[in-house]
Order: sequence, then C-alpha cells, then structure tokens
Amino acid sequence: MAVEKMKIVGVIGKNSLLSRVLRLVVLNGSMHVINALVRVNSSDFFLPPSEKNIEALEELPFLKPYSSKRDFSHDEEVVTSLLNLFGITPRVKLEHLGQDYDYDEFIKKLSDIHEKVRSKDNEIKERMRSIEKKREYIESLRYLAKYGFDMGRLTGMKYLAFRLLKITRENYDKLKKNYENIPAVVIKVAAEGKYVIVASITPVSLEETVEKIFSSLNHTLLPLPEGCPGTASSVIEDLTKSIDEDQKAIDALKTSLEDYRVKFAEEFEKGFSRLEMEKKVEELKTELAVGDRLFFMFGFVPTSSVPDLKNALESQFREDIIVLVDDINGGGPGITPPTKLSNSKLFRPFETLVKMYGTPAYNEKDPTVFFGLTYMLLFGAMFGDVGQGLVLLLAGLFLELVAKRTGLGGVLSRIGLSSTVFGFIYGSVFGSEEIIPPLVVRPMANINFMLVAAVVFGIVLIMGGYIYNIVNSRLEGNIEEGLFGRNGVAGLAFYMTLLYTASRAALAGSGVSPALVFTMAGLLLLMVFKQPLTARLTHSDKLYKGSPADYYIEEGFGVIETLLSMVSNTISFIRVGAFALNHVGLYVAFATMGEMMGSAWEDVVILVIGNIIIIGLEGLIVFIQALRLEYYELFTRYFRGDGVEYLPARLKYIPRASGKMNFFRNFRISREIGTHIFAAL
Amino acid sequence: MDKVALYAAVNTKIRAMEGDFLKREDYMNLLQKKTVADAARYLKERTSYGKLLGDVRIENVSRRYLEDILKRNMIKNIDRLIYYFRDDYRDFIHSLYTKYEIEDLKSLARAVFNGKRPEDMERPLAFLGKYSGADTAKLFKATSIKGLIYALEGSEFFEILKPLLDGKRENLFRFEMALDMGYFSIIQNRVQKVSVEDREVLKKWEGMVADLYNIQWIYRGKKFYKLSPEELLNYTMNFGDKLTFADRKAMCYAKNLDELYRMTMDSGYGFLFKKEEMSRDIYMERRINRFIYYKLRALIRKYPMSIIQTVGYVWSFDFEIRDIISIIESIRYELPLEEIRKFLVKAA
Repeated sequence: MAVEKMKIVGVIGKNSLLSRVLRLVVLNGSMHVINALVRVNSSDFFLPPSEKNIEALEELPFLKPYSSKRDFSHDEEVVTSLLNLFGITPRVKLEHLGQDYDYDEFIKKLSDIHEKVRSKDNEIKERMRSIEKKREYIESLRYLAKYGFDMGRLTGMKYLAFRLLKITRENYDKLKKNYENIPAVVIKVAAEGKYVIVASITPVSLEETVEKIFSSLNHTLLPLPEGCPGTASSVIEDLTKSIDEDQKAIDALKTSLEDYRVKFAEEFEKGFSRLEMEKKVEELKTELAVGDRLFFMFGFVPTSSVPDLKNALESQFREDIIVLVDDINGGGPGITPPTKLSNSKLFRPFETLVKMYGTPAYNEKDPTVFFGLTYMLLFGAMFGDVGQGLVLLLAGLFLELVAKRTGLGGVLSRIGLSSTVFGFIYGSVFGSEEIIPPLVVRPMANINFMLVAAVVFGIVLIMGGYIYNIVNSRLEGNIEEGLFGRNGVAGLAFYMTLLYTASRAALAGSGVSPALVFTMAGLLLLMVFKQPLTARLTHSDKLYKGSPADYYIEEGFGVIETLLSMVSNTISFIRVGAFALNHVGLYVAFATMGEMMGSAWEDVVILVIGNIIIIGLEGLIVFIQALRLEYYELFTRYFRGDGVEYLPARLKYIPRASGKMNFFRNFRISREIGTHIFAAL
Repeated sequence: MDKVALYAAVNTKIRAMEGDFLKREDYMNLLQKKTVADAARYLKERTSYGKLLGDVRIENVSRRYLEDILKRNMIKNIDRLIYYFRDDYRDFIHSLYTKYEIEDLKSLARAVFNGKRPEDMERPLAFLGKYSGADTAKLFKATSIKGLIYALEGSEFFEILKPLLDGKRENLFRFEMALDMGYFSIIQNRVQKVSVEDREVLKKWEGMVADLYNIQWIYRGKKFYKLSPEELLNYTMNFGDKLTFADRKAMCYAKNLDELYRMTMDSGYGFLFKKEEMSRDIYMERRINRFIYYKLRALIRKYPMSIIQTVGYVWSFDFEIRDIISIIESIRYELPLEEIRKFLVKAA
C-alpha cells in the first residue's frame, strides 16, 4: 500500500544502437522517460570517471537534443493498404518485436511486395471495368440481334452516323408526329415499359442538329462497340467470350493474390507491429540527448523492475552501452519522480477515484487505502441493504470480470459488498425490514441515534484526515503546515478543544471555562503567526516570504474560514445518517403505493419498479454524496494530488484493455471545479 | 367512395381555411403601407397571419424570411387536407407539391450554377423534398448541377434527370426543361388514377393550364432562346384543352412572332398579347395567373363536389403568397400604388 519507489536509470550507448536500444526499452515497458538534457544538467548527476566512461565524459559538454524527425507516411500507407487488401485486423503482437531486426530493410521488403500486389489489384479493377463496359454493349446489342446487319460496318460508316437511343413513350409520340421535320431516319427497335428504343441514322454533317433535337427529348444514348465485325448476335457472342476470358484472368489474379496472402500474411502483421513500434521509438527520441558518437537517455523505473531492464540491456548489448542506476535524491525542476500506486487488490479500483481528484505526489502518503476504507463505510452506511447491495455487487463483478471494466466494476462490487454488510446491520432486504432482524439498529426507529452517530463518525474521519496531513507534512519536512498549519498539529488541537467545549456545553449544560477559551485563542494565534514562527524555528533570515501586510490579511481571513469550515465540515456528515433514513423512507413510499394497488400481483410490480428506481437513482446520489464527502471534507485537508502519473514507454499491444480502463478519466473534472460543485452540494 | 361523403368534409374544411385568406380591404390597406416593416406589422396585427408572425421581430424582417413563413404555412395547410383523402387521391394531392418543389429546385440549380451559397439566396426553399422526399442537406451540399442530380437519387425526379448525366448535357437549361416536362408527366400519371368525374374536371383544368404555358413557352423560345421549331415542339406539353397537337406544331413552326400572335388570337387566348408591345413580356405571367385564377373560380362554382375544390384552394393560396410578396417587394422598391396593382393576381 503505497507509492512505489523509483530509481533513475540512464542508458548511454553508440548512436548506431539507438533504435535497437529504444525498441528494447519499449518492449520492457517499465521506463518513464524524462528529458535527458534536464537530467544531465541537474545538480546530482554524476558519471564516475572510470575508463569505461571516458568517451561519455568527453561528449558530456557537447550534447544536443535529438532533432531529426522521421516521416512514416509512406510506410504507413504501405502497411495499411496491405492490411486492407487482405482483410487483416491490425494488431500489435509481441512475438513480432522480440527478434532483432533492421526496420529499414524490413519495410523495404514489404514495400516491394506492396508494389507487386498493387499492380495486380489494379489489373483486377481494370478487368472489372472492362467487363462492366462489355455488359453494357451486350445490353444494347440485344435490341439489334433480330437484324442481320454487320455491326462493324454500321458503326464504322464515314458519312452517316448510326445511334441507338432510349426515350420515353410520350416523347417518342412527339417525335413521330413531327417526323417530317426531323433530318434523320428513326426506326423503333423495341419498347420496354415506359421507354422506347430507337435507332437513328443521320448524315454526319447534320449530326449536331439531330443531337439537339434528341436532347430536347431527354434521350439516353446506348453505347455500341466500335470496330466489331459481324452481326449483332455474333458480336454478342464474341463479347460474352471475352467476358469469360476477363473473368478467368481475374480469377487467376485473385489466386495469385491469395498466394501472397498465404505466404506473407505473417509479414504484413509484422509490418503493423513494427511500424507502431517505430512510431513509438521516434516519439521517445525527442526526449533524448545526442553527442557526436553517443546518445544519452534517462527515465524513472520502479525499483522492482530495475534488474529486469538492466539485465535485458546488458545481455543484448554487453560492452557497447553503459547502464546507470541512481537513487532519487531531491531531483529538480523537470525531473519530478512519477507516482506509481501499488495497492492490494481490495483497494486497487479506488485508485481511479483518487486519480480523478489528482495523482498523489511521489513523496506523499498514498491516500487510496484510507479513501477506499472510508468510502466503503460511507456508502454502506447511507445505502445499507442486503438485497440491493448484492445487486450492486453482482453488477460490479460482471463489469469487472466479464466486461473487463476493472475501474468502475471494481468500485461497484466493493461498495455493493459494504452495502450488504450494512444491510445486515440495519436488517433491511430490498427495502423491507420484515425479513431479517437488525444486528445493530433500525434507522427509522432511532433517528436521533443515526444522526448523532453520523456526526461522530465524521469527526473520526476528519481526525484521520488531520493525522494524514501531519504525517505528510513530516515526510516533506514542512514545519509550517505540519506544526502550525490549520490542518496541522495546531489545527487538530484547536478542533479537539472546540469539540470538547461544545460537547461539555451541550451535555453537562455547564458554561465555557475561561481556560478553554484562552487555549483556543492561543491556538488560533499560532495559526496566524505560522510563517514568522517557522522562520524563527528554522533560523532563516527572512520572517515572511512575501509582503507582511498581504500575509496578515490572508491569514486573518484564514482564521475565520477555519472556524466556519470546522463547524460546517463536521455537521456535513449528518447527511450520512440522513441518507440512511431517506433510503428507508423511499422504500416506505413505494410500499404504500404497492398496498394501494389492491392486487398482490400489482403490489409486486410496484415494489420491483421501486427497487429499480432506488438502486439506480438513490444509488447514484449516494455514490456522489460519498465522493463529495471524501473530496471536499477530507481531501482538502490532507491531500495535494500534484504528482505526475507514471506513464512508462510501452505499446498498447492488447487492444481490448486500452480505452476501457479510462472510464473515470473520461469525465475527469478539474480539481478546482469539482471542489466547488461538491462544496455546493 | 360516394363523392358526397368524400367531399363534404374536406370542402367544409377548405371553406373554413379560406376564411383565413386576406380580404379585399386587407389588400387595400397593405398597398397603402410605406415600409416593409409597416406592411409586416399590418399582417401581424390585423390579419390571420398574426399567429404565424407571433414572435417575429417586425423591425428588421426580411422578405425571404416572410416568404418562408408564409410558404411553410401553406405546406402545413395542404398537409391538413391530405388527411381527408385515401390511397390514389392522397397521392394526387401529394403531387400538388411537385409544382412548388420544382420551382425551388430550379432556383437552387440557378444558385448552384452561379456559384451562390443556398443561404444567400433571395428565395426560401420551403418545398424542397416535400414531394421527392430528397434529403435537403444533401441538396444544399451540391456544388454543381451534376451533384444536384445525384443528390436526388432515389426520387422520381432522378429518373427524369438521369439522361442528362452523359457528361455533355448536365447544364442549367436542360435541367430546368427536364424538370418542367417531368412535372406534367407526373401530374398526368396521377390524374389517371382518380374517379372518372374528377378526371374530367382535372383534364379540362390541366389542359387549360398546359395551353397557357405552351403558348408562353413557344413565345419565349422564339423570342429569347432562338430554338429550332423541332426543339420547341419537343419541349411543349403533349396535351391541351383548346389547342391540339396540330395547333401547337403550327405555332412552333410559325415564321415570325406576328404569325404567332395571329394564331393565338384565333385560339381564344389572344388576351395574352393584348395592349402595347412594351408590356407584353413583363405582364404575361400575371395575365396567365389571373386568367387561371378566374377560370379556377368558375370551375369551383360549377363542380362543387369534386377534387377541383382542393386544387383551387392550393392554387389560390399560392396566388395569395405571390401577391403578398409582390406588394412587399414593390414597397421596398417604392413603386407607385398603380404600378403595384398591375402585378397582383387576386386583388387588383
């Protein structure tokens, strides 16, 4: 349960090895790459002056960022067109990347295959078009089949033009009635539905006029083949034969393409994997530093993965590279260590909810466990029901195991479980309180108890928040916040005194003793003067970081805010009890409606609908309310969440996992807006 | 179905809806207005169009916007009438949209041809897709006549326009002519399916409209387009009331315009060319519409229990919108009252 420890790993090697080293790093998939120049220039970077390192030390002062950018558009075109042509689904497979290979040589080979395949594909398309054209010819020639003319002579006439056209019956009627004025011989060849097919013969010199007249009849010209001797029927025969030939040629081409498929399908798949890898590698190169002969690369690697990476690199490249492994100390701007959360299986799904607010900083205490635990308690307390809890649990398990949505499903199954447990505590099954006896309390029968218990529970949580913050402040050595801050020791002391005073006044009815008042006033003063006090304690030469006037105005208001928020944050938890009551109340409403229906059958229907509404609507509201309590009442107290997420360089080689995991990130609300919305609730 | 049962209900509905038409004094009042805004305000406050213009800001209303509102209202009212009919009759009433959709398609084609964007057009295109069912978004995206034809794929219009797609003929003129010819063949088709009595009335009515449009077409074709007689004839509607095919053919082959005038006088449609040469072209359209309007009223009186009632209502609505738009345009261009009245169909 914590943030995983990181080490900075550096790799120095010959420029000629660059791509291969990067490929290995991506395959290993554990390095969060950082800008190499920033690392080299940071104060704690140290390259031991040994014989092996001489060359690297020489290059160190002359490093430049990697600048040449490769263009993959041609490669991409080759690969995608091959995949499309053969209907291969693009997928990255690790086995294609394992072996050592030369990318340029490989893509050259692929590109040659593509050239051949494309020419064959084009030929197929060409033949298809030709078949199409010939079919059209046959269509037109059918109309002339009954005549014994020689088609070659008919279409090849020098002074006369022969045309075959289609016009509507109405228009043919007009043509016929005005035939004496048409400068062409027009013969009706066939009639089809509302169209008439006519043949026209006209002197070439008058063709333009005739064409205009036919245009005004909205004609369609039927295509005829040129230079084909023989009668229409024999031309049809010839064309049919030629279509068969084309078809055979297409079949042959297709078989040869199929051969390519059988022979090279593996290569095409490899092409996609390797191209993806190369693009990733190119992306990484922008973070590198290069000298004349060597390249430098740095990144954070979780301590547990360091040996793997180091071994892999050293076994493949042996003496040609230097692998540096350093501890993290301090760092500097630009090299913040990334946070990789590692929690037990029970709490892992809650990481997504924590990251929605912010990623914990590397040296911050990971709040996931505290969050997960309290979130389950809050949800269960507000939505305690054995039946409905089990429904949520099953839905969550379904999402988690079957639909592979581990984030949402995991959270749902866990809060469902907690809801079930609280169901037993409250003695409620699908809203009904008559089936099982309560283990502890019936909410509706003990309203005051529920509300007070909720507030007490809230107080415990808030104190937990204080403790978390004090630990966090200690971890980063922040005396100002840890000791005197309003969420630090002073704040906690003030809060406890306030609670003690209030409870004494309420329970014993006694007055407020002056000693308590002075204690509280003193603690408030500590908070106001936190900066100058810290400065004194640490013997720093400046009392204030900015102007004192601004500081006191801000802190003055800070005190008021502290007072207000302590009271309101505490009372805010009353909602936990209120929702527990509300849950019962909603069921009572549906149960009453069910009784009014008269028949038992309708009663059941109403109860089922009621339960669906309660699970859907109230479940969502409680989900949000619990989240709001966590974010606004607790996270603001101890959690900064300004860390950098651990994003190692790797390929997404399992397509299903990508995209779905990020359910929560899709509607990630920015922290500020989120806090405001939640505050308003 | 018995024709009384069929028409009693729809005619009552029509009488009621006709009550919403502008009265004579409304036209008179509108004509007195000095600005477009004043006219629009009159329509809004004093006439039945008030409910359409309810939340329109009168001060800067555009002519296009006003026309669009009026036309959409017309569509709404025709849709109401469709519910009174069944089967083939319903199809026939539906085909009344063709005329207006074709007008819109032609304006859109002209805009596309001139490289204008549909939203910059003067005319609203309220009827697009009403008969053809074509996707207006697709039509608006077209950037050429060819694209426009392909956007109509799947509709009856596409069948009519398909022959133009041979790479040489997809120009504006052929597009307009093909659609105009298509309109009459669609109507003719639908007329075949109604009852014998209704067919009689419609034949008389459509024949008369065809006669008028044919004469106008032959006149324009001769005077402006200089087409050959064969082409002219091929572009005429192949039916008519008073004019036979022989008459039409003779008109197309008339040697000059004077011969055409004489033939028209003999045919009984001489009024189209009366008065001085100057005004002929400008007012011909209005003369045709006015003649149609009065003929329509006569037919409505003569055949009370027939389909002509519905047709009459639709045309009458169309004329009313044309009149309102004419008045608004004339006000905008500050024509004197007497000049305006020369353009009006229903009121004059």
